[in-house]
Amino acid sequence: MRNSLMAAGLAAFLMTNAASAQTLNVATAGDQNMVDYIKDYLGPMFEKSHPGVKVVAVGTGPGDGGSQKIFEKLDAQKKAGANSDFDVVVIHQKAAGTMAQDGLIQKYRDALPTGALVTRDTATNALGTDVTGYVMPMFHSQTAIAYNPDLVKNPPGTYAELRDWAKQNPKQFGYNGIKGGMSGVAFVTGWVSAFGGDAAKLEKGPYDAATKATWDKAMADLKAFNQNVVITPGNAGTLDMLNRGEIAMGPVWVDMFYTWKADGKLPPNMRLKLVSPGMPGQPMYYAIPAKTAQNKLAADFIALATSPDVQAEGIVKRFNWYPGIDAKNLQGKLDQAAWNQLFADIPPDALAANGKPFPIGPYFNDILETYEKKVAN
Amino acid sequence: MAKPSFLGLLLIAPALIMIGALFLYPLGFSLAAAFTEPGGGLSLTHFQKAYELYSTDILFTLFIVVVSTLLTGLFSIVIAGILTLSETPWLIAALRNLYRWPLFIPFIVAAQCMRTFLAKNGLMNNSFVALGLMEPIQTTSFLDWRGIIITFVWKQVPFVTLMLAGAMASIDRATIEAGRNLGASRLRVLVELVLPQVAQTLLVGLVLSFVTMLSVLSVPMMVAGSQPTMLTVDMAFRINSYGDYATANALGVISYFMAGTVAWIYLRHNVKREVQA
Repeated sequence: MRNSLMAAGLAAFLMTNAASAQTLNVATAGDQNMVDYIKDYLGPMFEKSHPGVKVVAVGTGPGDGGSQKIFEKLDAQKKAGANSDFDVVVIHQKAAGTMAQDGLIQKYRDALPTGALVTRDTATNALGTDVTGYVMPMFHSQTAIAYNPDLVKNPPGTYAELRDWAKQNPKQFGYNGIKGGMSGVAFVTGWVSAFGGDAAKLEKGPYDAATKATWDKAMADLKAFNQNVVITPGNAGTLDMLNRGEIAMGPVWVDMFYTWKADGKLPPNMRLKLVSPGMPGQPMYYAIPAKTAQNKLAADFIALATSPDVQAEGIVKRFNWYPGIDAKNLQGKLDQAAWNQLFADIPPDALAANGKPFPIGPYFNDILETYEKKVAN
Repeated sequence: MAKPSFLGLLLIAPALIMIGALFLYPLGFSLAAAFTEPGGGLSLTHFQKAYELYSTDILFTLFIVVVSTLLTGLFSIVIAGILTLSETPWLIAALRNLYRWPLFIPFIVAAQCMRTFLAKNGLMNNSFVALGLMEPIQTTSFLDWRGIIITFVWKQVPFVTLMLAGAMASIDRATIEAGRNLGASRLRVLVELVLPQVAQTLLVGLVLSFVTMLSVLSVPMMVAGSQPTMLTVDMAFRINSYGDYATANALGVISYFMAGTVAWIYLRHNVKREVQA
């Protein structure tokens, strides 16, 4: 008698438990701000609209290394034939391509109510790999040249003008090389796209190992250019030196630039310029693992995260990123001040024309290695 | 001769296993990876690549570490010498209380402080300008090789001084008194009487500093720009950007080689002394 009572009690407990406490595990690559965004902003909002659901955010570390960890875990779980214990993953471009090819993530975008709001080609092409349907961009971040208008009245509009400007103003331009963070890497890949010949081939492929021989002139010029510039210690190092007035110009991440400005770590008069033929930027993607127990909840979560309201308030206003969905969907959702701030220096048409993707994986590595061989050594 | 006791072996087994599993195995693994080509055979291709890409950085690393070690030795001798031989009590008291501080500050924190202290418009130059010692236009940034050396020396001098001052305190004071009584200056007593008696300790301190500085990643990464840079930064970059452990291991072997040379000098010196004794 007592046993059956206890069994019934246990069964009831398990059932209510299962019904009331669903957990949605969100794994995100990137810096701590990515985890904070999900834990403090998106998670509570989703829990409110889905009573009984608990959102757990896990950070796997910055840069491609963070995405690599997610890949390794999903890959191991697939090989073991198990459900993955991540329900939503937030990953970089390089990993998204591999995961889509290996069937580790599922095609879900077409069924998503917000799926049609995306227009940028990074939603279909991740560094040369077709990821149509597999990913939803969470945000785009972009590199650009930051400058101090007190020292630079007419900022250069192209890479060629920038090269001449640095020659006339020695040690006034600073960037962080390629070992101190991605803003320097972005400047260098932009340089190769501008002076190295076929830029479209770098972005779309196909890969040809002989291409790197055609960059010799561009790399030699970059070596000469480096004689007139300051090599800064890191992404933050460039911003620090701009702030202290030690350099007048340098490549930065747009979101970092605005965040530093809002925190008072950069003078309010600092401006941005996106030089042509263009500098690279990159999105972070939302994706759903191929085998997860929470398909429906995961899709709901991403639909909320990519809705115009959340993109306006969370992505643009709080974190100074560019929206993952087409910016025109945000008009009316954002107050004019926030809109003006985001697009003041780089208007939407300049962003569309000069905001480029990074080169495809093999070219990307070739550029870095050629730089090490021909420029740095 | 005592028979090796089973119990004794059992007692040191955990330590041996730890050294084997956490040091010798990874060391052997990285050595093997450095000399193995993608197909599997032995080759030097990774070293060739390391040389092609990083020859400047190899020389730069050697330069930084050697200069830092020499400066560390010099400053340590000066401070320890003052602590032992000075006849000005307040100077000894002040130095004794101050010199150990950097020992308690991690490299990464030291690097972070230097980053704002040594910058062109940083604290140091701004102070000079405010004191009227310099015009703003004359300021230069020390955030390059000089910054790395300054940080290393600042961080390692207390460590070597601590060892050296201890050794100097324990030598027979009578030798110092005798020298002074016969009219030798304090500098001469330091160089001709005290230093020869503590040379062994100085050498140990400098060898340890050399190896420590060779392995620091945070300082070159945070203080200086990346061109040229130290081998630790290159190794981290090889792994983070390309997942290329082979070339990183080859660079590691080059570092072992530098550290090994210094260790060899030290050991040779040691053996010579023991033979003499």
